[in-house]
Amino acid sequence: MRYKILTVDDSKTVRIIVRKAFKSYDCDILEAGNGVEGLAVAAKELPDLILLDVTMPVMDGVEMLTKLKSDPALKAIPVMMLTAEGGRDHVLKIAKIGVRDYLVKPFKEDVLIEKSGRIIDLKPLSETPTKVKSIFDPATILVVEDKPAIIQQIQDGLKHTPWKVHGVAAQGEAIDFCARTPPDVIIVSLSLPEESAFALFRLVRTNVKTKYTPVFALAVKTETGQQQQAQTLGFGAIITKPIDLGELETKLAKAMNLDTSQRYYSFEGDSLIMRLPENCSPSVLAESANYLKPKFSEAVDAGTNKVVIDIHQLRSLHMGVIKLLFQAMQTCRELAMQFALVGNPHIISECKGFEDTRSWTFYDSLEEAKANLGKPAGGAAAPAAPQLAAV
Amino acid sequence: MAATQEITEPLLRENITRAISDVFKTMLAREVTLVSASEITDLQTWPPLGNSADAARSHVVGTVGFIGDINGLLYLYLDVDFARMATSHLLGMTEAEVDEAGDEVINDAIGEITNMTVGSFKNGLCDAGYPCKLTIPSILRGSNFCIEPISSATRQIYYFNCGGQRVVADILMKVGD
Repeated sequence: MRYKILTVDDSKTVRIIVRKAFKSYDCDILEAGNGVEGLAVAAKELPDLILLDVTMPVMDGVEMLTKLKSDPALKAIPVMMLTAEGGRDHVLKIAKIGVRDYLVKPFKEDVLIEKSGRIIDLKPLSETPTKVKSIFDPATILVVEDKPAIIQQIQDGLKHTPWKVHGVAAQGEAIDFCARTPPDVIIVSLSLPEESAFALFRLVRTNVKTKYTPVFALAVKTETGQQQQAQTLGFGAIITKPIDLGELETKLAKAMNLDTSQRYYSFEGDSLIMRLPENCSPSVLAESANYLKPKFSEAVDAGTNKVVIDIHQLRSLHMGVIKLLFQAMQTCRELAMQFALVGNPHIISECKGFEDTRSWTFYDSLEEAKANLGKPAGGAAAPAAPQLAAV
Repeated sequence: MAATQEITEPLLRENITRAISDVFKTMLAREVTLVSASEITDLQTWPPLGNSADAARSHVVGTVGFIGDINGLLYLYLDVDFARMATSHLLGMTEAEVDEAGDEVINDAIGEITNMTVGSFKNGLCDAGYPCKLTIPSILRGSNFCIEPISSATRQIYYFNCGGQRVVADILMKVGD
């Protein structure tokens, strides 16, 4: 639901500042220049929050608030005063009429957002709503861990990604960091002293800027009690130490909702290349399989009917890989695409050991496969086109 | 009702310094320092002195009154160039965009800066036992003008330096009642 926030202020400047403050949040800003206009807009639009000035011409904020609170249809709308009138007695008098909060000018936009976020469930707008972020886009990962060696390990392990990993040692530093640069994911060590990981999690969830930021818990594998507590509290994932960096990377990409298809699929010339990495864990296979049909269809839509399935980086063959390769070949046949396989000597030899894969034919390099794709089988170029052999 | 004479000059100075510092730091990210008149060698070129050598320099002057147990007016003087710069920062616009939007935008922005400054100033006085309310801001623009208080008013002028730009607060208060 898109929230409506009504700003009632005779100063256009304040209304512009309010609009600017909320521009990266999923809400509509309505404006009124005095209490009369404010009441009219409130009755018509029923906003979710009213930001109300006091000193205004025509009808001031106190009168508008009084009328609002005496109207059964409008009295439930929460009101936050945003005014230069901040004397103690004045604030108390207005508070008695019924306001949810009181912000005295001058004010910081961050404070306005934070206070508003306590009244309505403000959601940050996605920076690029129409374009899904890919694994090649930069991201900020905050690691809150009092052991520098762990931070270093994560930084080293994710060095090949475009992500920036920032390490801080304590809760306070983490809060300061989040206020300056809201991260894309936060990883918090559960071994921080005095259970401050849980306190930090609660603070992160109450801050409007980080309310929806995925938070991972970092825990020693055997500390199951802590892990359960983290799961109950709502941590997005548990990363156990010693850290499996591959698994961490996959979970981070998933938490950030990144398009990881480029890890496995790319277009080179007139061919679609499907690549499998060195280690094909179940999560890698699942990720690759998810993109398979959409990517092959995309290739067909783009006029490409050649596919090179490149598994030369693969260390060993197992049933999961074989099933995925069969799925790829089947998809090629359904879409009338030609395909070729590229492998390494070890994988080629392993293929000879299985009944189902014995007849598969491989090229030694991508270039060779691309050059021979589409040539008639049994022609000058050996080996034979695998689409005829691997049925 | 409190008599204006009871409000000491140090109380006014402390409140206006705090108010201007707060507003300029929070809204414009600028530090402001109070400058004593005796330290200013070219005081005749600073507003609000009208018959100065530099009187032709254009100013935007925000005015907000406070009425209640104490009554008065505060004029906030900014050079027109500084007013444009402040507006640009306040609204997140480039100076070219501010120029395109017109003088009305600058007037409104300086009106709001003055409103916040006087609000903060008078809130300090309210909490010190002199309750009063704000009036709606108004703006004066131009050069070569001089505001003269009526004889029954007291006047305090405070000069501030804001990164080389000058800001002047001219406080006029009604004596008695």
